[in-house]
Amino acid sequence: MSGRAAVVHDLNLEAYGFGGDHPFNPLRIRLTLELCETLGLLQDYPFVVSEPATVEDLTTVHSLTYVRLVQKAGRGVGDLLDLMHYGLGTEDNPIFPDMHEACARVVGAVLQASRTVMRGETDHAMCISGGLHHAMRSRASGFCVYNDAGVAIARLKEEHPGIRVAYLDTDAHHGDGVQWMFYDNPEVLTVSMHESGRYLFPGTGGVEERGRDGGVGYSVNVPLEPYTDDSSWISCFEDVVPEVLRAFGPDLILSQNGCDGHALDPLTHLSATTRLYEHIPRRVHDLAHELCEGRWVATGGGGYDIWRVVPRAWTALWTAISHQDLPEKVPENWLAARCAQSPVALPRLMRDDSADYPVAERASVIAERNRRTTERVLEKVMPLIR
Amino acid sequence: MSMSSGKARMLLVKDAMTHEVVVLPPQATAGEALALCRERRIRHLPVLEGGGLVGIVSDRDLRSATPALGDPARAEALGRIVVSEIMASDVTTARPEDPIEEAANAMREKKVGCLPVVEGDALVGIISSSDVMEALVYLMGAHEPGNRLEVVMPDRPGTLAGVAGIFGELGINIVSAVAGPRRDLPDSSEPGRVAVFRVDTMDLREAVEILERAGYAVLWPPKP
Repeated sequence: MSGRAAVVHDLNLEAYGFGGDHPFNPLRIRLTLELCETLGLLQDYPFVVSEPATVEDLTTVHSLTYVRLVQKAGRGVGDLLDLMHYGLGTEDNPIFPDMHEACARVVGAVLQASRTVMRGETDHAMCISGGLHHAMRSRASGFCVYNDAGVAIARLKEEHPGIRVAYLDTDAHHGDGVQWMFYDNPEVLTVSMHESGRYLFPGTGGVEERGRDGGVGYSVNVPLEPYTDDSSWISCFEDVVPEVLRAFGPDLILSQNGCDGHALDPLTHLSATTRLYEHIPRRVHDLAHELCEGRWVATGGGGYDIWRVVPRAWTALWTAISHQDLPEKVPENWLAARCAQSPVALPRLMRDDSADYPVAERASVIAERNRRTTERVLEKVMPLIR
Repeated sequence: MSMSSGKARMLLVKDAMTHEVVVLPPQATAGEALALCRERRIRHLPVLEGGGLVGIVSDRDLRSATPALGDPARAEALGRIVVSEIMASDVTTARPEDPIEEAANAMREKKVGCLPVVEGDALVGIISSSDVMEALVYLMGAHEPGNRLEVVMPDRPGTLAGVAGIFGELGINIVSAVAGPRRDLPDSSEPGRVAVFRVDTMDLREAVEILERAGYAVLWPPKP
């Protein structure tokens, strides 16, 4: 038996979303939790409720000017040109009523999850509303307004001086916001595995981005080739993550579990299946027990096939966190309740059938390129991490 | 399009150049010059006499003019050879108000790695190929979040406006835009220019669809 688990969630968190047909749709949170519930996976785990992050929390990593601007924008105040300068009111980050409150709640929830773990009230905690990794100090970016992981790490470091936090980001997009916030900090290791910036937003996250000043070596980037499949992705993960985490020796692991690297995701060009999203959290779980007495906070992140991919991927995440087995079948009740609303046919099994995802012709070329990338990554950062 | 504060100043030589220049007198020895290159981690030293630029010497010139490391004759040569004997005296220079692309072109044509920047007779800076590279990174917006998009545009007035208009209608901000001639033109296609945009969006689907419907070929991101 290894560790206790908690879910931080309440309905208010589902107010974070951009409405209309924007790809970042809070319905994915609802669908996931309903699926977990229907499978009986939440029985012994009442939701932990949280308070919104305060302005003081937010300004650990965001500028006060930006926070004030978001507050005003959510009340319908502000000059649109001025707001756009801060990434707000664009196609990616439209303004919505009370956006400050909605975003601050997400940050507060991840902060609560982190504190609960750090205080030893639970070993692992999950908040799937979190994972807004693109938000910058003074700029909304890529569907992210405030950076929940950034605030949580900054606050934990104030409350527990000297602790070392490993941030592990396996979203298909580079975890740029979190990386830049701690780019010169050797006590925060950021590791991001993502589709290469040559092909995908935000364009950064090359191997040579390793950190600055005292933090050189503590930003680790593994850019993957488009169409990378499970087996290559898993080998890259196994080559890099355990080794850099062991060298670093974290006191807590915070993982961003975007599942937009799935072959069905409409915004990216990777070819993973549920196998990857079952593998990663189980390995992170083991590493947390090996390296930091189980202290692990898991957030959500990207994932834009909200019907077929996100609910199953994050249910797998929750089973790893809560030490439960992943059921085989998607329950009939859940399918019955939701299938009429879904624009696509829903899968019947919790795991993708590998026969539906044949190995691509170029798979060995892609795997070889990725292997060379991981070699370069280890060469460049391992001598620097201590 | 928004221009991030201060980035516009990357367009001229004076904004991309290094202002503090390490210089030498013509009678400095090769040994002194090489030591200076090593200590300051630079590759080019302008040579000044009476305040005026009379030549330039690179670490490569210095190395090829002196015996190799380990050669017993080296120490004596380093102390004997003076910079005026090996420097290039026909120096290509830039002016502070030159556009950086002009400086880049001069470096390319003359096959040199840097240009001293002079105003009247005074040396005011030095611009190297790595300074130009850095300016290029800023100009292309490669340090800012964005998605890269390459579009072929028919070579006639209004096409860039057409593409930009599509982004504008979708509320997508253009981080940078560069348009240039196309090199490898497939036989069937009409002459055109290739424009490279960096656009601030996670979701390119609608933009690509509308661009293609409007007759623009999208070259990047590549399709499977």
